[in-house]
Amino acid sequence: MRAFMFPPNLRQTLARTGSAIALTAGAILSTVSPTAAAEGDTLLFLAEDVPSGLDIDGPSIAIPTTQLGMVQLLEPLIAYEYFDEPNEDGVLMPDFTKPVGRLLESWDYDPETLVWTLHLRKGVLSCAGNEFTADDMMYTYARALNVGSAVPNAWFLLNMSGVKGFTQEVFSPDEDVAKEARILGDGIRKIDDYTIEVEQVEANPLLLVNMAVTISQGVLDSKVMEENATEDDPWAYDYANNVNLPSFGPYCLESWTKNDEIRFKANPNYYRGVAPIETAIIKKVPQGGNRISILRSGQAQLIQGMTPNQYDSLRKMPGIKVSGVTGNEGLFGVMNFATPPFDNIKLRQAIAYAMPYERIINVGYSGQAKQWESVIPETYPGYTPYEPGYSYDPEKAKELLAEAGYPNGEGLEEFAEQFKLTYVAEKETTLGPVVNQIRTALNEIGIPVTLDPIPQTQYGDRQIVKKDLAFGLNDQEKPIGVDAGYAMQLFFVSAEAGGLNNMMNYKNPELDEQWSVARVEGDMDKREEILSDMQTTLMEDVAWLPIVTFKTQWAHSDKLSGLSWNPSNSLLLYDLHY
Amino acid sequence: MIRRFVLKRLLTGALQMLGLTLAVFFLVRMLPADPVSRLVGLNASPEAYKQAQRSLGLDEPVMTQLLNYLGIGSDSGLLQGDLDVSWVTNAPVLAEIGASLPITLELLTYSFAVTLLFAVPVGVASAANPGKAVDKFVFFYGLFGGSQPEFWWGLLFVLIFFANLGIAPAPLGMISPLLQAPPRVTGFYTLDALIAGDFRAFFDILHHLMLPVLTMVFVLSGPVIKMVRQSMIRAQASDFVLYANAAGLRRKTVTRYAMRAAIAPTITLVGILYGVMLGGAVLVESVFSLGGIGQYAVRSVLAFDYPSIQGIVLVITAISLLIYLLLDILYAIIDPRVVYT
Repeated sequence: MRAFMFPPNLRQTLARTGSAIALTAGAILSTVSPTAAAEGDTLLFLAEDVPSGLDIDGPSIAIPTTQLGMVQLLEPLIAYEYFDEPNEDGVLMPDFTKPVGRLLESWDYDPETLVWTLHLRKGVLSCAGNEFTADDMMYTYARALNVGSAVPNAWFLLNMSGVKGFTQEVFSPDEDVAKEARILGDGIRKIDDYTIEVEQVEANPLLLVNMAVTISQGVLDSKVMEENATEDDPWAYDYANNVNLPSFGPYCLESWTKNDEIRFKANPNYYRGVAPIETAIIKKVPQGGNRISILRSGQAQLIQGMTPNQYDSLRKMPGIKVSGVTGNEGLFGVMNFATPPFDNIKLRQAIAYAMPYERIINVGYSGQAKQWESVIPETYPGYTPYEPGYSYDPEKAKELLAEAGYPNGEGLEEFAEQFKLTYVAEKETTLGPVVNQIRTALNEIGIPVTLDPIPQTQYGDRQIVKKDLAFGLNDQEKPIGVDAGYAMQLFFVSAEAGGLNNMMNYKNPELDEQWSVARVEGDMDKREEILSDMQTTLMEDVAWLPIVTFKTQWAHSDKLSGLSWNPSNSLLLYDLHY
Repeated sequence: MIRRFVLKRLLTGALQMLGLTLAVFFLVRMLPADPVSRLVGLNASPEAYKQAQRSLGLDEPVMTQLLNYLGIGSDSGLLQGDLDVSWVTNAPVLAEIGASLPITLELLTYSFAVTLLFAVPVGVASAANPGKAVDKFVFFYGLFGGSQPEFWWGLLFVLIFFANLGIAPAPLGMISPLLQAPPRVTGFYTLDALIAGDFRAFFDILHHLMLPVLTMVFVLSGPVIKMVRQSMIRAQASDFVLYANAAGLRRKTVTRYAMRAAIAPTITLVGILYGVMLGGAVLVESVFSLGGIGQYAVRSVLAFDYPSIQGIVLVITAISLLIYLLLDILYAIIDPRVVYT
């Protein structure tokens, strides 16, 4: 029954223990040197997380780190040519007016029949060595129409593009109707091994735009998918979510441990040439400070997910370069039209004039941002900056506040609940300085703003489902389709007119009418004119309050170059080289 | 006798688990947000939202959801050993816990082993020399070590030993990303490396565990030393030690008797701390990118991933109950006065 026996001579024990620990540590240290730096053909990329799943229609598709993994494996149907000159940070920028075929060699459109003929590139091999053919396209489209996974992401973009057969009926509560609707009909037709026809129900220019969204419209290697299908899971959702995403992209999956790391090996069969960096490892390092330390030590070559202030510090460190793009990320205010007093246009405009844009840019973003002057990203075609624009003008804000019926803010005290500025608590390190600037500026003109950080999921629920955020601050929404019309339909058109996520309950019949014309307008100049008018209306109404558009940034070894930007904000490792 | 005791405790534990399952099931559904919205993101239509809701089974009445979760009237559920599928990754919760739990257990086991090796002799020495240097050291260490949270110490150690001195590896998890992890057999990295005979990986894993274990030991040692010290002082003042001294027994023998009496509360404390740190080591896991159960729990809570939250609570509770049962048995082995009833 003697369970424990400790040596009685304590001094000796202490000495022995200390010696043992010292010897063990010495032995370990003499055997193992600190992690050697990755060299030449290897890249160690530290991120906040690694992909939680890889399926296009999987439950983690909305998570940026999941998208970062997917874009390495998938090949887009079309992409955009880069401008000849990189931006001021040396990042290659896409020219959205010049789409270029990737898996598609070319395409034709017949406006009479609304049929797109897609000519597939020949000789493209997947990681498994299978040749890309029309069968892979047909499989991918059929799978999208099946909407059997958590998030019907691929279906969503095809539905938005007006592709025949991709209707709401796939969700019908009548099982027979839904089952019938989920069978790929004649809306997408295989002509031969390298030709597909896609028919639209009405003219809709979004199809071409949406085909460039890799994370939704990437094509799967049908042979591998079918090999991994089971009776219970005929579309191999489990396989794509948890094992691999077989495709035709520049990298192949080597290993993947969720919540830890994902490793890619360059696809030896890649049709554009093997990636310069053979092995790429994305490793989860949750602490931003540690990502910086490891980058500084030279053991990692690339990091992301830092705050603007941290990037600013990194910019001054030897051997490290910070590259960024003012691409499509922006900070905007949401004022709910269904919640008084935000239904008062003068009040909304007063807030727009009370916003301390410069202070926010300097304090919140270390100067790496600029005032956002429309409701769509400035890099997107059709972006129209608002004239005369809102600027920080507290006197004008006070005048407007008085015109709104609240001179010096009198009367607003009864709306204390509505003036809680709500933002995502997990983004406190980034948004904390910003919301404090906003609160101070609005308090100065008599608007009784308080701060209300809430968890991300709760924020999303209130914004997307309940739509009851009275006054919110948001820096995480961007239209993934590179088109002003896409943004209009997604954010501003009313639900009755086909709008999708009008989070601020904005309803403008004139705007809805404009969209109904622009949606099917085949003349691109006319369409752009309408979309430009719509932007002006939205800015006048302060449907959103765009505040700043800020840089998406990465810090990396100064030996690493070739960074390029795309609207998913996920770096394409294929473009990188030492 | 002991068999009946263990059986009774296991039955009680099963009832506790059932109660907890029901409580957690309903409590997570009272969280102030709908998990579907996080799933679908903003680029989604109302139809997509409904599809996601249906795929999670959240369109069913709550009682139906409960029966499905328990596996009553369906082929798979808790009663069949199925903890459901994570709503974030779509992977089985059991598999995800199986991947993350051994990391935390490995960290904690090494940390508590080193803590005991360090804290017991120091605590005994402190009790044997009240007011002397060792005792003063214990007093100040108790104040110092406990004055800051463990993640702060972790970050400080990373700064000193990795960034400045360069003798510790980068906080990149259990093993260098440039090495292949040993083939998974037990899920415990060090054991798996030994089983694979991969000593390079084995020493690299030990090297990577060095700072997280040091951090844990630094924080855990404070209360353990204090407990050992107090228990030893109490034991040394007890009648049987007085009698042993009066009988002229050697100091070595008397100390041994006193330690045996003093160790029981320490073991209890270590057991309780072990249970608490299963979830409480999350900050250390985060600092060193270890990907243990704590990090998995935080991710699940932030994502409102109901199946994962339920699974984690159940597994941690089961382990804690098991630890308490083992403690009771151990307690009785150490102290013959304890009777199983």
